[in-house]
Amino acid sequence: MRHSDDHQLVARIVSGQDTAAFGELVRRHQSQVRNFLRKLTGDIALADDLSQDCFMHAWDKIHGFSGRGSFIGWLLKIAYTTFLQSKRKSKRYAEILDEAGHVAEAESRLYSVQPDEVTDLDKLLAVLTDEERAIMVMSYACGLSHREISEATAMPVGSVKSVIFRGKEKIRTSFDIKDHQHG
Amino acid sequence: MTSKIINMAERIKDAEDRLLESMFESAPIADDGFSVKLVKRVRRRLWLQRLALPVAAVLGGAVAIRPLADLVTAMANLSFSVTSIVPEELVTATAGLIPQAPFVVLGAMLLAVCLLGLRAIDD
Repeated sequence: MRHSDDHQLVARIVSGQDTAAFGELVRRHQSQVRNFLRKLTGDIALADDLSQDCFMHAWDKIHGFSGRGSFIGWLLKIAYTTFLQSKRKSKRYAEILDEAGHVAEAESRLYSVQPDEVTDLDKLLAVLTDEERAIMVMSYACGLSHREISEATAMPVGSVKSVIFRGKEKIRTSFDIKDHQHG
Repeated sequence: MTSKIINMAERIKDAEDRLLESMFESAPIADDGFSVKLVKRVRRRLWLQRLALPVAAVLGGAVAIRPLADLVTAMANLSFSVTSIVPEELVTATAGLIPQAPFVVLGAMLLAVCLLGLRAIDD
């Protein structure tokens, strides 16, 4: 039901550049996108900036939404790309600063949580690579299926499953979580 | 059939999956003007896009009018030299029209700008 509603709103945007329909889509999905990016970056302000960029990219690319998968899956794909682009940019910025003899602080901005506000989830996410973190968040926080994650990350479904398996393995070894303890 | 099996396998969650889900779970983030700000940004961008073409046409027209007029005059002079094979009456008639050429170009440009402006307002 929700999917078809989203698709109707997308159709309104595509046919008539309906900004009200776009506003409704943003209202519906902003929480998931912002949550996803907050978990990826560990920085609320940066995540909100990236979320804005993500929605602006979505507006620009909305004609490319095929309507085959869910809208949130498509949106998270853009959010992930936006995150990777931002990371690449800050890495380049850090390199320039480094060359200029400054302390490279830009790169450390990505996934940097203030020590006084570290949660269990932050500790858990810190042991994962960006890719693992993105896929685990898509799976466990956003509830995307393996197929949707595969579309969002442009990875085969099999690779998505192995990344999730690897992520779980890392968490298990780092935090001593065992299946039978929580059954 | 295969996709059904995959979906079934995906739905079978063990205790670890449930634990991870509960750890990743977080309260929904309040909109707090986020969507309003974004819609404003989109509207502003739309306006700029619609305005860009007419403004560029006006500015381009203003810059290009002088060289264009010179070009038209040069073309007219060139045509005079070629018109020796054209009948005398036709040459006289064309010569009467040529001095008006810059105004014709200016008029055409203004018309184009007006049409673009009207289309932007219509959109």
